[in-house]
Amino acid sequence: MPCKEGTIKIYLSASQPCSTPCIQANVGNNMAENKARARCRFILGCAMACLALWVLCWPASGQTPEPNAKPDGGAIFAQRCAACHGDRGQGIAAAVTIAGPSLQAEHDLGMVMTAVESGPSHMPVFSRVLKSAQIQAVARYVTTDLAVIPLAHGNIGEGGKTFRMYCAACHRTAVRGGVLAFAGRNAPDLKNKSAALIAGTIRWGPGTMPKFPSSVLSDEQLASTVDYVRFVQHPPNPGGNPLKQVGPVSEGGVGAIAVLFLIGITGWIERGGKG
Amino acid sequence: MITEKIARQASEAIDSRLRAAKFIRTALNHVFPDHWSFMLGEIALYSFMILVVTGTYLALFFHASSAKVIYNGSYHALDGQKVSVAYRSVLNICFDVPAGLLVRQMHHWAALIFLWAILAHMARIFLTAAYRKPREMNWLIGLTLLVLALVNGFFGYSMLDDLLSGTGLRIGYAILISIPLVGPWLAFLFMGGTVPNPATLPRMFALHIFLVPGLITALLGLHLFMIWRQLHTNYPGPKRTNRTIVGSRLWPAYTGKSIGLLLLVFGVIAGLGAFFQIDPVWTYGPYDPASTMAGAQPDWYLGWVEGALRLFPGVNLRLGHWLIPEIFFPAVLMPSLLFLFLYSWPFTEKLFSKDTGDQNVLRLPYEQPFLTAGGAGLFIFLLVLLVSGGDDFLALAVGGSVVEIRTILRIVVLIAPPCAAVLTYFICVRVMRRKALRTRMTSPEASAEAAAPDEMALEPRPPVDVHELTPGGE
Amino acid sequence: MTDDGKQRKSGLTAFLDLCRETLELGGKTLDFLSTAMRQMQAPRRPPEPLAKSGRSEDRELETEAQIQRRERIGTGLVICFFLLAVLGGIGFLIAYWSGRNNTQVLGGSLALFLCGMGITLVLWARLLVVQKEAVEQRHPLQSSPLAQKVAAKAFCDGAHDIRRRRLLAWMGVGGAGLFGAMVLSLLRSLGMSPDKSLYSRIWKGGQRLVTSDGKPLSLSSLETGSMVTVFPEDQIGAERAQTILVRVKEHLLQLPSERAGWAPSGYVAYSRVCTHAGCPVGEFEAEQSILLCPCHQSTFDVLRAAAPTGGPAARPLPQLPLYADADGTLRAGGGFTAPPGPGFWGIS
Repeated sequence: MPCKEGTIKIYLSASQPCSTPCIQANVGNNMAENKARARCRFILGCAMACLALWVLCWPASGQTPEPNAKPDGGAIFAQRCAACHGDRGQGIAAAVTIAGPSLQAEHDLGMVMTAVESGPSHMPVFSRVLKSAQIQAVARYVTTDLAVIPLAHGNIGEGGKTFRMYCAACHRTAVRGGVLAFAGRNAPDLKNKSAALIAGTIRWGPGTMPKFPSSVLSDEQLASTVDYVRFVQHPPNPGGNPLKQVGPVSEGGVGAIAVLFLIGITGWIERGGKG
Repeated sequence: MITEKIARQASEAIDSRLRAAKFIRTALNHVFPDHWSFMLGEIALYSFMILVVTGTYLALFFHASSAKVIYNGSYHALDGQKVSVAYRSVLNICFDVPAGLLVRQMHHWAALIFLWAILAHMARIFLTAAYRKPREMNWLIGLTLLVLALVNGFFGYSMLDDLLSGTGLRIGYAILISIPLVGPWLAFLFMGGTVPNPATLPRMFALHIFLVPGLITALLGLHLFMIWRQLHTNYPGPKRTNRTIVGSRLWPAYTGKSIGLLLLVFGVIAGLGAFFQIDPVWTYGPYDPASTMAGAQPDWYLGWVEGALRLFPGVNLRLGHWLIPEIFFPAVLMPSLLFLFLYSWPFTEKLFSKDTGDQNVLRLPYEQPFLTAGGAGLFIFLLVLLVSGGDDFLALAVGGSVVEIRTILRIVVLIAPPCAAVLTYFICVRVMRRKALRTRMTSPEASAEAAAPDEMALEPRPPVDVHELTPGGE
Repeated sequence: MTDDGKQRKSGLTAFLDLCRETLELGGKTLDFLSTAMRQMQAPRRPPEPLAKSGRSEDRELETEAQIQRRERIGTGLVICFFLLAVLGGIGFLIAYWSGRNNTQVLGGSLALFLCGMGITLVLWARLLVVQKEAVEQRHPLQSSPLAQKVAAKAFCDGAHDIRRRRLLAWMGVGGAGLFGAMVLSLLRSLGMSPDKSLYSRIWKGGQRLVTSDGKPLSLSSLETGSMVTVFPEDQIGAERAQTILVRVKEHLLQLPSERAGWAPSGYVAYSRVCTHAGCPVGEFEAEQSILLCPCHQSTFDVLRAAAPTGGPAARPLPQLPLYADADGTLRAGGGFTAPPGPGFWGIS
């Protein structure tokens, strides 16, 4: 046990020298400097993720607590999850991507358990590290104690209005992502994001995304926005192929191809004509 | 034969009232050259026909009013939202009017194709120097048609009152108001105040469906009348001189081909309207002053202006108390200079060329290296601007930063056109030399024959009798 | 030194050689293409009259049997495509009258009909119409001098019959001018004079900042790195009144000294209408504290009074002076520093 905690501490302190200059870098607003920092941050972030992976997957045999004690979800969370997801599950943004997303809207026990067992995207797999009782305990802790963002059913229409005022400027109306000013920082595609992840992220504001606290977006507005995003992830396309939802750019390209095709038709009609 | 009997009776009936026999005979015998490049303008003409037909259908269902209503229709993601009457009527066309979405998509696709076809047609005219005497006036009319098509396309795009068109309207207003001295007056005259303004939509609607299409129709009639009167040009070749026209007659071969093309253009546009979604206004959502979206571009034909807006650095001009905003230079000055150049080109070219009299035989692009090189440079310039208009999607696609890509594009837009022009020039010169060599090698008479058209052009005209003054020719 | 020069020279010649080769290659490609095009376009003139292909270009060289074969094939093709078109037409009618309103079925069958008919007609024109090359004389466009003279004389004779021509001209000019003035003055009904609203600075001192729902905001409303769109109480939802309220770390702010007190607890407010083309500057990048316009990617530095730092914008976003009253509610300390929106001739 102490060994384990020690390593986590090293990891946390290792992240310190990285995160401090990062925050200062934002002040400078110098583009070249920012880019260099972003690169440094990316490398450090990768190193950090590897370290975390290594730490968390360390075979824990012989160090597990007494078999008969009822597992304490909070303790397990603090020990295994807080490093990436924050001590209150509020999420931590590191490097160029999200190290651990916010868990404050995760109400689904089954989903959390599956995630802990299987480790989606770059999250480590815990099925060999934690026993099923422990997994259940930590999942219960997450869904009951940490999930403070209510996710009732919202009004899709209202959510759309909020989305267009605050979110479409970066993520586009079709939630397929958009550019920001600096390299490697494009607003992500929201097509495959879960409701809990979207809700948690709106409140938490990872990286360069602004936070939207409940004084700006009420819980109902948040739920509506999430519902709208979930709807637009698969928008109705009654008109046929949506051309990647890119709008006039791809439409102009298809128009050009169509005209080339029509010119080919004129070539066929007038084949052999010498003008 | 029964057809002959009917034809004779019909022509008798018509002729006894209009004395049309002579005209009909001339018309049916009218000669059209056989070459695909003479059909580019026809593609534009037929897309315009589709625009008129589909536009009429849409106008029956569209209400150009920015009054606010609560939406409760077939698209449930907007239930209970405040939208404008115009936007609601567009959603109604998309989701409720039978075949409404098909017709709307065909209308929009036809507009994109109309402008691509105009561009291709114009490029052909420019590169083969078909604008020379006696066709200068038709070049001017064609350019005016292009301007009207651009303007009407922008009106149609901006009329729907969705978020994308609202964004376009804001930028249009900013461009209009940036004109020195008269800008604010022009913007208020046209829009009725600052955007958004309840007066704007009805004005654009009236212009889009009545005034501009009316002008286009009138000028198109004039355009075609002049082609009819002056006859087409011919590419250089045997039997083709300044005094002859070679091709197939209107009846029956050309009629079949032309109506076939008309149906095929209609068919391709119907296919696009059926299978490729265009301008999904329901995904964009209604226009709202505080709403905004990333990835807002104009339709492609204004993409080069958008690109210029993006590439031009943030520099404005202060004249004491007065300001010429940064947007004026790329969005007003650059297009004005471009069109000024195009409008004056046939007359500018006369200063340099030794052509005299009517020019009815085209020049091939490589025979006029300077012109072709200039055309290539201009084309590359506009193409780079067009690409820059979508540089945010370029950045998304290559995963780079839009700032870096824009820096590269700023360099490319200055360097690529001259490079393209120089390269084109040398290629043309080379091809020309090679052709000359080959002609000389194959037959000495051939080169003499090639020079023949010019000699014939210099011949004195035969006297013409007064009968020729009646319309319809001989 | 000489060595260096030699090297450079050889480098230059190598470069020139490369250019020449590239040009040659380009020329060759073009030559090849043009010959290929010519071959495609020109009617094939086979060396022996016997070796004729059945292509439609070679009409004059076709034998009777070949003509019959072409017409038979042509008829078959034309009927096939016409039947396809009929299929499309019937499909469209069924799709429309069934009331399903499926764009793909409707449009697909319409396209099938139109393309089928189009191909039918073109095939007919190419295969079942006798192709004859017509050569006609062009008539010079210019009339004979006699005809020109006759027309001019007709005009002059008519003009000679008009008495008091000068009076007529004056009346014509006067009437047309007056009519023009009448028509032009109708334009006045189209718009008001631009002076009033364009120069407005929108906010009045003491107005509360409210969200689009009308909620007032206080010092505790935002966390650092969050933003909200606010309006003056009396103009909620108005385009030019939209303002972006951002909270940043107070010690990072570098406002000019005369604006020092305008950012209570790190709250700063700027016009949300871009000074470039008038789009709402909706993107706030919290880490870099910049505002980005999604239309043309102009960036504005929130910490330095929204000065433009990149992209095509040249003027800063107008700032709104802020203060917090006794109970912490945020209020405007006056109007924007400049009229909001895109620039125009008389904005300063």
